[in-house]
Amino acid sequence: MSAESFDLPLQPEPPPKVHRIGWLDWARKNLFNSVFNGTLTMVLTAGLLLLILALLRFVFSPDRRWEVMPPNAANYVVEAYPREDLANMWLSLWIIAALAGVSTASWGMGGQVSVIKVVAAVRAIGATALVVGVLSLWSPAGGATQTVLVWGGAALFGVGVGATRLVQEERGVSVARVLAIVGALLVGLVWYMPLESGTTWPLTITALVVVAFHWVGKLVGQWLSARLMKRVITVLWVLSFPVIYLHIQRNPSLVWGEVTSWLPWAGLLIAAGPAVIWVVSRAGREQAAGVNFLLGGVSIYSWVIQWPMAIRVLFLLLTLFSLATPTFAASPRARRAFYWTWLAGGLCTLYFFLMGIGSTDLATRGHFLGGINLTILLAVGGTALSFPLGVMLALGRTSSMPIFRILSIVYIEVVRGVPLITVLFFGDKVIPRFLPPGLDFAGEAKALLAITAFSAAYLAENVRGGLQAVSKGQTEASRALGMTTAQMTMLITLPQALRVVIPALVGQAIALFKDTSLVAIIGLADFLRVARDIVPNQPDSLGSILENLLLAALVYWIFAFSFSRASLRLERRLGVGTR
Amino acid sequence: MANRPSLAAPTRPPLWRNATFLKWAAQIGVLFGVLALGSVLIGEATANMRAQGLSLDWDLLTDPPGIQLGEGIFIKPSTGLEAFYTGAVNMLRVALSGIVAATVVGAIVGIARLSSNWLASRLATVFVESLRNIPVLVQVVFWFFLASTLFPILEADSSGPIPGVLLVSRKGVSFAWPFPQETFWQWGAFLVVGLLTARWAYRTRMRRAEALGEDTRPGTWALLAFLAWAVLGWFAHPLAGALGWLFMLLAASVGAVPVSVYQVVLALVSLYLGWRWIHRFLESRRSPAGLAKLTDDDYFRMILAGALGAGGAAVLMLLPAATEVGTNVLQYLLEFCDQKFDFLRSGAPLAMGSPSVEVPGRFPQIAGTGLTMTPSFFGIWMGVTLYTASFIAEIVRGGILSVPKGQSEAGYALGLRRGQLLRMVILPQAFRVILPPLGNQYLNLSKNTSLGIAVAFPEMVQVGQTMFNQTGDTIQVILIWMAFYLSISLLISVLINYYNRRAQLVER
Amino acid sequence: MENGAANPIIVCENVKKWFGDFQALRGVTTSVAEGEVVVVIGPSGSGKSTFIRCINRLEQHQEGRIVVAGIELTSDVRNIERIRSEVGMVFQQFNLFPHLTVMQNITLAQVWVRKRSRSDAEERAMALLERVGIPEQAAKYPGQLSGGQQQRVAIARSLAMDPKIMLFDEPTSALDPEMIKEVLEVMQELAGTGMTIVAVTHEMGFAREVANRVVLFDEGQIVEEGPPAEFFANPRHPRTKMFLSQILSH
Repeated sequence: MSAESFDLPLQPEPPPKVHRIGWLDWARKNLFNSVFNGTLTMVLTAGLLLLILALLRFVFSPDRRWEVMPPNAANYVVEAYPREDLANMWLSLWIIAALAGVSTASWGMGGQVSVIKVVAAVRAIGATALVVGVLSLWSPAGGATQTVLVWGGAALFGVGVGATRLVQEERGVSVARVLAIVGALLVGLVWYMPLESGTTWPLTITALVVVAFHWVGKLVGQWLSARLMKRVITVLWVLSFPVIYLHIQRNPSLVWGEVTSWLPWAGLLIAAGPAVIWVVSRAGREQAAGVNFLLGGVSIYSWVIQWPMAIRVLFLLLTLFSLATPTFAASPRARRAFYWTWLAGGLCTLYFFLMGIGSTDLATRGHFLGGINLTILLAVGGTALSFPLGVMLALGRTSSMPIFRILSIVYIEVVRGVPLITVLFFGDKVIPRFLPPGLDFAGEAKALLAITAFSAAYLAENVRGGLQAVSKGQTEASRALGMTTAQMTMLITLPQALRVVIPALVGQAIALFKDTSLVAIIGLADFLRVARDIVPNQPDSLGSILENLLLAALVYWIFAFSFSRASLRLERRLGVGTR
Repeated sequence: MANRPSLAAPTRPPLWRNATFLKWAAQIGVLFGVLALGSVLIGEATANMRAQGLSLDWDLLTDPPGIQLGEGIFIKPSTGLEAFYTGAVNMLRVALSGIVAATVVGAIVGIARLSSNWLASRLATVFVESLRNIPVLVQVVFWFFLASTLFPILEADSSGPIPGVLLVSRKGVSFAWPFPQETFWQWGAFLVVGLLTARWAYRTRMRRAEALGEDTRPGTWALLAFLAWAVLGWFAHPLAGALGWLFMLLAASVGAVPVSVYQVVLALVSLYLGWRWIHRFLESRRSPAGLAKLTDDDYFRMILAGALGAGGAAVLMLLPAATEVGTNVLQYLLEFCDQKFDFLRSGAPLAMGSPSVEVPGRFPQIAGTGLTMTPSFFGIWMGVTLYTASFIAEIVRGGILSVPKGQSEAGYALGLRRGQLLRMVILPQAFRVILPPLGNQYLNLSKNTSLGIAVAFPEMVQVGQTMFNQTGDTIQVILIWMAFYLSISLLISVLINYYNRRAQLVER
Repeated sequence: MENGAANPIIVCENVKKWFGDFQALRGVTTSVAEGEVVVVIGPSGSGKSTFIRCINRLEQHQEGRIVVAGIELTSDVRNIERIRSEVGMVFQQFNLFPHLTVMQNITLAQVWVRKRSRSDAEERAMALLERVGIPEQAAKYPGQLSGGQQQRVAIARSLAMDPKIMLFDEPTSALDPEMIKEVLEVMQELAGTGMTIVAVTHEMGFAREVANRVVLFDEGQIVEEGPPAEFFANPRHPRTKMFLSQILSH
């Protein structure tokens, strides 16, 4: 209905200009709009002032030793990693930085942000610093810091207010530019802080690597399609963690004598893989089942007799590939993908056994994982490993087969019913009981196993929610198209279910990140333990425990808070529930 | 008729192509795999432990553990059982008081986040966003070290910020508290009767209200009935001593019956449960015309249920120890109750105590006259309470926001004020949404009390760790932990489910 | 304004309202006399719902004045509460409280806002339920009633407050055809008692038979208003002609 053709008397007007309301009006409206609210405001203000004063008295007390933190930076991040091998750690950081830079080029930085908001943020930060600085004048000590707070705060506030006057109309500025400025300021801070020697340049290089690879990403992006680019980067991210932790940081060196006995056989197996896949995909249903039965038998038998571990694992992998072939590799295209996946997976496995078993490394010279590095390994590794296990448990719990269902339910409910610390103790104290005498895993590995087992149960419940959200029509439609149960699950049900539960999975990952701090109880040197036990027991920083705990709280908070914000944005972009 | 196509008689597919058979073969195969793995591991573990001079028995519960606990009922437990009992009670103290406090704080903060007062809503947001993003362990450890390093040092003349009511020191926070006396249980019996009477009064008055259409004030009546019993019991509680005889009688009769009788009864119950499942399953498959044709799958299910029932019965008959533990616990509980009742006891059931300092040796201590939180208790309690409160606040906020906007518009259009609207329209509806995740948070809080180990608070996990460091019985301790925490989880989820079902909206 | 001049109970003067940059009301001037029945019609998005929601301040107008029963609508909390207890409102989605029985829905505000004793409130509620024809449903929950029954409970709930003015915001739009009739009958009966009514509705039959005045809204302004006989027979404005032709053609 086009109403434009009618000459209605009144034309739309712009909304009345919201003239900036004075702070008195604002306070009357938001703080004193009723007797109750007025009283509440007064009580809260008084309480807040008391709290801030107490906090400042704590922070600026002469007993506090904030100055011990910068010299202990390496302890926080890597703990006991041999200092002469620190170059490995820098290399790991630069790899992450490079990938981050390329990713920003490919995915973008989140577009534009309103200038007025940036200016308001600057003004708010300045005002807060100024108020805190002035209030801190009532606390015992703190000389230089107070000066910085008062004058810096005043300067920022002034800049903010001035900019507010200047920037009248709504204008956008790219998030990338804001982040670049903040990053530059941080690099400046690195040069100002009394860090351990030999850290300022590598940190500066890290920042430069991010910027440089941002441009590299842009350049390469002109040649590659955006889709391919994103795929490549994703694969690189996935590969980066095993490469960093298993190779760069462990710094292994191969001992040839250990591997010569089984290496030819492993090569033969990898070469035979494509032939097996070819045969199984071409053969009839029953012949394929026969081959698979044979492979499975040999594979199980190999664990009973004394075969080298690498051969056992490779054989098991080949059996799994062969089992999946009749269902998923019918078309030539899919078969080609199978060949390539087999070759890549086989070579990776081979590499793992070459470097992981028959080699000396830092691990044999003493533990090499600690600090934030260990926390990140446990969080990322736990998330990655618990994902397949959790999905399997969820499928088991929703399966129509009662024994699978009962086993899954028992596992999930038992694990969810006990605290994580008991699972960690189980891993630490009971797993060695099950192993032949004298054999034990590293504490880090056992903790990772325990965290994975624990997280998988929670993840399974999240995925189950997604599976139940997939409508029955979808499964009926795929049945009607003649899909097998495995095809239906992998191609139809799971992809839809996982998309629905992405926010819940991110929430689970954040919870897992926070939970990694519990490994401090079973004696691993993670970030919390460094802050609670290791730094406060150094001769130079004896007894600085509350300061260090506050630092730990701040670092954990920054990680968890930024992830939860990112997850919120993701949720909004996916429009979960709206599509 | 002649050219009707003839159908060959249906043939059953060969076994290796029969979908049902394959399904069940896979399942039973996996089940056997899991059982085999379990038995191999247990065998390996037993062998390993024998090599180290350990064994998988339960002596740790009866032997003197030779450990000392930080606080609780038995500081120097004479048996392992006493040690675990102390740990369990300590854990429950933290969990229950934490649940109450976290609920109150969480509800206030959650409502404050929606307040029209800018300052209140900002502060509530800061509370939530800061606390829930810091690991609870960091918070627990922080509060512990705060209490043990920044609180005032205890002097012989310390009297705390509020003399006689609250005493804050590095050795703990002590406050005034009404302590139950030895006659408390007898009074408690009166309170139980009072509760039942109150319930009865409420229902009767409610029925009267529905019949006559007038306000019969059922709540007031119920409260008065309860208070009347409470006051009566305060003075007349020795009468409840008669209950002691009852418990004594019960305990004696439980002990008099031989274990084999219980075994047979329980085994029969197990068989009956299996049979009942099969029976109901058949009933559900019965079509109006008679028995429906059962698939192979259905037969496998029924066999599984029957096997479970028979297996349970077999275990009960072959292992008298399992039944014996059950009857012993029951008998112990009854005897415990028996000891709490006696005609001859007198005095008030509750007595007020206030904090004070004593100097037994060279150093001042907090005397046992008030209720005292040690720094360890303070750390774990503050940590889990505030952490959980931040999650409860989000749940409360989400629940309130889940009530449709039309509800508050209708309330405003009727002239209700904001407070009235919240209390009578929004909160009762939000409550239904809030309840299930709230129960989850209670579970999380209970499990997080296990972090007491990081601040040397003797709850279940800390006691267990101290025990296995002494004896090396890790597997047994882990099993005890599992049994304990699983029972707590089960209890909370049963309670929450019960209330959840009662709170469901009536729909068409 | 010929009707409003008698004894105006609602007076609106150049009322304007924006949602962000979109102007929902472009300057509405009208008045409603005591006992008058006004039906507001118009295409969706024309601002008619916004207008009546402004009358009891479920929405706030930004410019102009609204005076209801001699009380000016400002941000003064006391005025808002007084007006809301004088003005009843019935919503498209009923907005009954699902956790309360029908009886409790009707007595809640009587007890807490009108400060009546519970027995008085229940007596009044029962009388009103009889008036809207569903006394037997008093003990049920809203979820157990049909849409038409729910809307009649909502009307009874508003009437229990003894309002001087009743606002209806598309009361029949969420109902099945056979239920529309039962709600319209209640509204018609109510109009016969001399209640001041402002109703947004698409029911032209109701407008023709019951209304004293019909108002057509479009693009946030009053296009045309007048007694129903004249309004439907001889619309003056071409916009009205087009609207009527679209709505009456089927």
